Amino acid sequence: MSPRLLALWLKETIALTRDKHGLLALFIMPTIFILVMTMALRDAFTPGVTIDVSYSVVDLDQTPISKALVKRLDRAAAFKKIESTNDLGAARNQLLQGKQSLVLVLPKEFGSRLLTPGGTDGKPADQMTLLLDPALSPTLQLAFRNQIMAALGSVRADELTVKAGKLFGLPVSSGSMLEKDWPDEIRSEAVRSNDNAKIPSSVQQNVPAWLIFAMFFVVIPVSSIFIIERQQGTLQRLRAMGVPFHLVLAGKLLPFFIVNQVQAAMMVLVGMYLVPQFGSEALELPSSLPLLLNWWAVSSAVSLAAVSWALLIASIAKTSEQATIVGGVGNILMGAVGGIMVPKFIMPASMQKIAALSPMAWGLEGFHTVMLRHGSFADILPSLTQLLVFAAASLFAAIWLNHRALAAQS
Amino acid sequence: MLKIDSVSYRYRDAATPALQNVTLEIPAGGVYGLLGPNGAGKTTLISVLSGLLTATDGLITLDGIPLAEIRSKNPRAIALVPQDYAFYPMLTVAENLRFFGGVLGLSGAELSSQSESAIAFARLEQVVGKRAEQLSGGLRRRLNLAIGLLGKPQLLLLDEPTVGVDPQSRHFLLDSIAALPAAGTTVIYTSHYMEEIEAICQKIAIVDQGQVLAEGTLSDILHSPEPLLDIGLEQPLPEAIAQRYSATIIGEQKYRLILPSTVTLQNLLDELASAGCSVRNLSLGQHDLEQVFMRLTNRSLRD
Repeated sequence: MSPRLLALWLKETIALTRDKHGLLALFIMPTIFILVMTMALRDAFTPGVTIDVSYSVVDLDQTPISKALVKRLDRAAAFKKIESTNDLGAARNQLLQGKQSLVLVLPKEFGSRLLTPGGTDGKPADQMTLLLDPALSPTLQLAFRNQIMAALGSVRADELTVKAGKLFGLPVSSGSMLEKDWPDEIRSEAVRSNDNAKIPSSVQQNVPAWLIFAMFFVVIPVSSIFIIERQQGTLQRLRAMGVPFHLVLAGKLLPFFIVNQVQAAMMVLVGMYLVPQFGSEALELPSSLPLLLNWWAVSSAVSLAAVSWALLIASIAKTSEQATIVGGVGNILMGAVGGIMVPKFIMPASMQKIAALSPMAWGLEGFHTVMLRHGSFADILPSLTQLLVFAAASLFAAIWLNHRALAAQS
Repeated sequence: MLKIDSVSYRYRDAATPALQNVTLEIPAGGVYGLLGPNGAGKTTLISVLSGLLTATDGLITLDGIPLAEIRSKNPRAIALVPQDYAFYPMLTVAENLRFFGGVLGLSGAELSSQSESAIAFARLEQVVGKRAEQLSGGLRRRLNLAIGLLGKPQLLLLDEPTVGVDPQSRHFLLDSIAALPAAGTTVIYTSHYMEEIEAICQKIAIVDQGQVLAEGTLSDILHSPEPLLDIGLEQPLPEAIAQRYSATIIGEQKYRLILPSTVTLQNLLDELASAGCSVRNLSLGQHDLEQVFMRLTNRSLRD
């Protein structure tokens, strides 16, 4: 082991342990993010859980058929039902006051015209009305409409069955048909490489996401030490002592790589033991050794990309303020487009294409391949390659920039 | 012997070169002073000697071997103590010394022994466990110097090592530096404080605008065939006479004049008499470095 490299590693480690703000950014920030985001997005990742959006029904018909529709909607249990007074004016006021988001108005004669909608019996159409809070997201509006259509379809099918039964003299009572509970006929199954398939939870999505984000935040301590070295002439002194710039960079790579791995271990522990204390599901790591090694390979590749990126930013920035702004904003942008802050699957297609350019998205894809799909080493190889090429390009750029700066002096 | 032979250096896009044909011979085992105002080229010359900059022209050898070759074979042979506090503020004094020693390739007992020697030399024993950022300006300068002594360099380059320190620390630093040649180290010392150069340097070069204006021992440089005359008058010195004798004002109607030779003293007195100036007192004296510098450059060291 070269004593020069050893000295550089040791110096960097001591300097880092004394940088309280840097350590706070590296360890406390992601812990808080994991806890908050796991709680906030828990329902978004759990199928069948009630969406925290309320609706009421103004039933102006009050027939067994309209009551059956209301019951079916209630049983779907995706949105929260508020008991309604069947007073249209009061319901509108509730919407205006923001006390509820959706009001379904069932018109008079809804039941009697169930099988002749849209004026097909020659009488003018009298549609159902959906009153909306204008702030409600279009996705949720569409989801509620779909639930109404599904409930309406099943009530209509039951009514047809009753009518057909009567026509053919079968013993069917309309009341019992409309009261019938249909079981949930769709089962969700996440497809993975082995048999232990289970739908990913919020914690399994959020721990790797915020771990990657935190790893890239090494830019703060890396650049703060680097800028002190440059401003105080320490880098010049090291050069006069015959220490090449690439050795200075190598002296920073290992300590911050280790810091990243400690972050990874800590965030996994947060996911496994702290998150359940707040009522969410515990993080599950893959149980087989090859999958754990694949997980560590992704973690290592993300770390090398993060530290190399930090070294590039530190080489460009002239002051700590610049490094904090360029590095911090750069990380937030990479996180925003890379599916860290907003899950990639809810982005529009054009944004998903942009997300593919973010190193954080490559890392997240690698972690998801291992944790959610239980992928093999060959499956994570594309993510590893992207991250390692990014790391190498950042390091070469940092060395080239330094070389150019020195050449400018000569 | 360090030989600097016709060394030139020009910064990119600079209108004039920072060093122009600098030629010096610096004997081994002494303190050699580079005196000049800010921007004279002292730091550039130190940077070229330390390998931070590469001379555009000329050759530098130490005992006949090119300096670059010595540096690549033995990085410990030449040490630089820069103007800045070039160490780690978050590390303690001991940690800084161990780090820079390690970077020089020292390890184990050798590293411990040299760190201890440097601490003792710079009298840092009381603060070895203190972080560098907690030290006073004087102690930081001592730490800066102590780091330069690691590896027992053959040539030690000190670039304005007393800037911003209190008189007591400056006195200590100067005494310490003056003692270094006894351990076999050749010291090149840059400063714009002539009293420091006068106090510790055996040989001096006066540098301005990238050129060596004068070089030699202190007495060589101070010796001048042109004697100084301090004169007190009853009336102001006429402008024409002041210009002819490069007069400077040293008090109320007191002037310092440079005479071409002692023979011209009678001519000067005759000129003053015919101009109606009565002489109160006069004395012949020797130049100091400030006067030599002013004579050579027509400006003050502190400009």
